[in-house]
Amino acid sequence: MKKEITSFSNVSIGYGKKIVLKDLNFSIYENDFVGIVGPNGSGKTTLLMALLGNLKPIKGSIKKDSLRFGYVPQRDIVQPLLPYSVLDVVMMSRYSLMGLFGKPSKEDFEIAEESLKNVGILQLKNHNYKSLSGGQRQRTLIARALAVQPKVLILDEPTNGMDTPSHYTLLDLIARLHDENKLTILLVSHLLTDVANVVKRLILLEKEFFQIGDIDEILSEENLKKTYSSEFGVTKIDEEYIITSKHKN
Amino acid sequence: MDAINQLIEFFPYAIMGSIIAGVICAFLGVFVVSQRVVFLGASLTQVSIAGVAFSFLHLINLEGFLSSLFGVEITHDSFFHNFEPAFFSLLFAVICVLIFSQSYRQKYLTQDGILGIIFVVAIAIRIMFIQKSPMAEVSEIEAILKGDILFIGKTQLYTLAGIAAITIFLFIIFYKQFRFVTFDPESARAHGINSRLWIIIFYLIVGMGISLTTRFVGDVFVFSYLIIPSSIGILIGKKVYHVFLFSVLVGAVIPPISLYLAFKLDFSSGPTAVVTSFILFIIIYVVKKIRS
Repeated sequence: MKKEITSFSNVSIGYGKKIVLKDLNFSIYENDFVGIVGPNGSGKTTLLMALLGNLKPIKGSIKKDSLRFGYVPQRDIVQPLLPYSVLDVVMMSRYSLMGLFGKPSKEDFEIAEESLKNVGILQLKNHNYKSLSGGQRQRTLIARALAVQPKVLILDEPTNGMDTPSHYTLLDLIARLHDENKLTILLVSHLLTDVANVVKRLILLEKEFFQIGDIDEILSEENLKKTYSSEFGVTKIDEEYIITSKHKN
Repeated sequence: MDAINQLIEFFPYAIMGSIIAGVICAFLGVFVVSQRVVFLGASLTQVSIAGVAFSFLHLINLEGFLSSLFGVEITHDSFFHNFEPAFFSLLFAVICVLIFSQSYRQKYLTQDGILGIIFVVAIAIRIMFIQKSPMAEVSEIEAILKGDILFIGKTQLYTLAGIAAITIFLFIIFYKQFRFVTFDPESARAHGINSRLWIIIFYLIVGMGISLTTRFVGDVFVFSYLIIPSSIGILIGKKVYHVFLFSVLVGAVIPPISLYLAFKLDFSSGPTAVVTSFILFIIIYVVKKIRS
């Protein structure tokens, strides 16, 4: 039986008194690979914030193992004016492990470089973060999350605004990190096809609708209609899901 | 050479004070500009001046309060004469910074809008405070309120040196936290750093530095040296420490040169310092544009 690392019991979350998601009951397990999808504004990022502990539940309880989390934010929110190098950016996550007055050690730099190697951009370590392409920036942010040596990696819309080749190589990278590094991964996206073909379990989110389960049981036309209020066709060809919109203008 | 000798002879503290004030502003300016909160600098200078104007009303008996708090007798000497305006200037700046640092919690107004309101209200209440001040001429009070590089004496110089040392020391000690929370507060929080607390501390240090420096060298000097040297640093710095180095270098070198120019050409020191740094900025900008 898999070890439970996070469990939500009757949890309602939101901002102030406004509830965004209510009565959530689910668990995340060790070496899980969970996709979180739903339309814009459905509460995906809110759920992430609660998972990270950045948002306290209005109701219910969230039990968390004392595992280390690595977080990859939406790339667009990181727009520095200062010329930070790629290594500078990756080192930032190590700061949280150094204590109030600690200084980066040789080991910290080695771990940061190892993380860059893991995502395939070690050769860019001295480059200016601002000068990188969207895909390279995203890899830098993933390397930063890996540099805390996490057990759980949480990614918020990692493929947003990327060209098609970068999009798919990034999804391959995430899948590899799950397979080879045995990382538990939570992948948030509003692009259903992105998630459907890489994750093992799926959370479908909409304000009054919440479903979680194995991809085969959750990814149905009926569930997608409830989530997106629109008709979708779901076909599986050669172990790959193809999701098409039935909506006609 | 005569002008230089005269300047050194008559205004040695002003020269050194202008260098230190330039360094403080340029250093803090890198954070202010890179955080895209330039208008915070403008607002804080005005809020600080409003604080000084408030002290002239003598509405609050600060000596009495401190005497009862510490159980000692405090006489109104020259120390208190300088302490009271600086205290209220700092207090006003801290309140402004605390309000601003919480502005992200609401979604009705932009941060720019909030700073704009603070800016204009600070100017308005300063005028109202001055009108009710028991002191004589409004124009004289305005001159005292806004500070002047040439009036920097020994005490002001030591105070500025103290502000510079404390500010730079705090930023060096906590550079890890400030670096992460100013770069990406959401991820910093997710990785276990208390972003909200560190952002408040960050803005408090910036607010204290700006507020106290404004008291001695004036709002025009402070606001311009927050923006122009750091913009030059960002234009030419290829690494983060280059940006700080170039900014601080410009902040240290241009004020004494502009003091000399002001002395030689008979201009006010503050505006001359601004225009001199602006000319340097334009030259660097044009050279960068041509080379790229």
